[in-house]
Amino acid sequence: MQKKLNRSYDSLEEMYDLTERFLLDEAVEPAVRFPVHFVMEELFTNMVKYQPDNSNDILLAVNATEGGVTVSLTDYDVDAFDVTLDRQVDIDAPIEDRTPGGLGLHLIHKMVDSLNYDYVDRQSTVTFTKGP
Amino acid sequence: MFQIDFGNNGEIICCGRLDAAQCEKAQAFMDAVADAHVLDFATLEYISSAGLGVLLKTQKRLVESGGGLKIINVNNHIHDVFRFSGFHAIFDIEKSAG
Repeated sequence: MQKKLNRSYDSLEEMYDLTERFLLDEAVEPAVRFPVHFVMEELFTNMVKYQPDNSNDILLAVNATEGGVTVSLTDYDVDAFDVTLDRQVDIDAPIEDRTPGGLGLHLIHKMVDSLNYDYVDRQSTVTFTKGP
Repeated sequence: MFQIDFGNNGEIICCGRLDAAQCEKAQAFMDAVADAHVLDFATLEYISSAGLGVLLKTQKRLVESGGGLKIINVNNHIHDVFRFSGFHAIFDIEKSAG
């Protein structure tokens, strides 16, 4: 399944609906579907949030793989942002030292089986896999 | 679709999917909440990191004034998100029975 999505948080519902329908058709179990939706949203919203001057659509591709899923998101004419780099988050910090935000990439790394980043000719592609 | 409202016993009921597009609505509701409150997640299917930010911002404000949030009926998937985020140390969290 492939779909170009408008660069807006308003596309999240469409992205969820399309992907959920595809995953159900492929009989992907809920334990895989939840993290797939979660990671897709985190990657998509990062692209929208950190490239605000870009008006290009973002290409979503989802493929089923023996009970699991491979997902890629491609962003065009953007600066590089390598989501595979480790960004430390202190999840044991007391509440007075915690600030909203910054958990997204940490959670992505916790939920995927693999995460890959390619940057060629100002084109960013993030690919992740999640299996049963 | 995401909905948030008070239940019959004063608890806050969250329903649907709390994604980044719904956080403004959720934050506006939570900004009007004072003291201690129960958040019932029995019908909340999904939360993103943006939704975690709404919870954390609200909890920080309430804790400073002696209150806080208790989150009940949390499904297994959202419970994992809380665990990976270290939220068990800063919220009172109860999983759903199912």
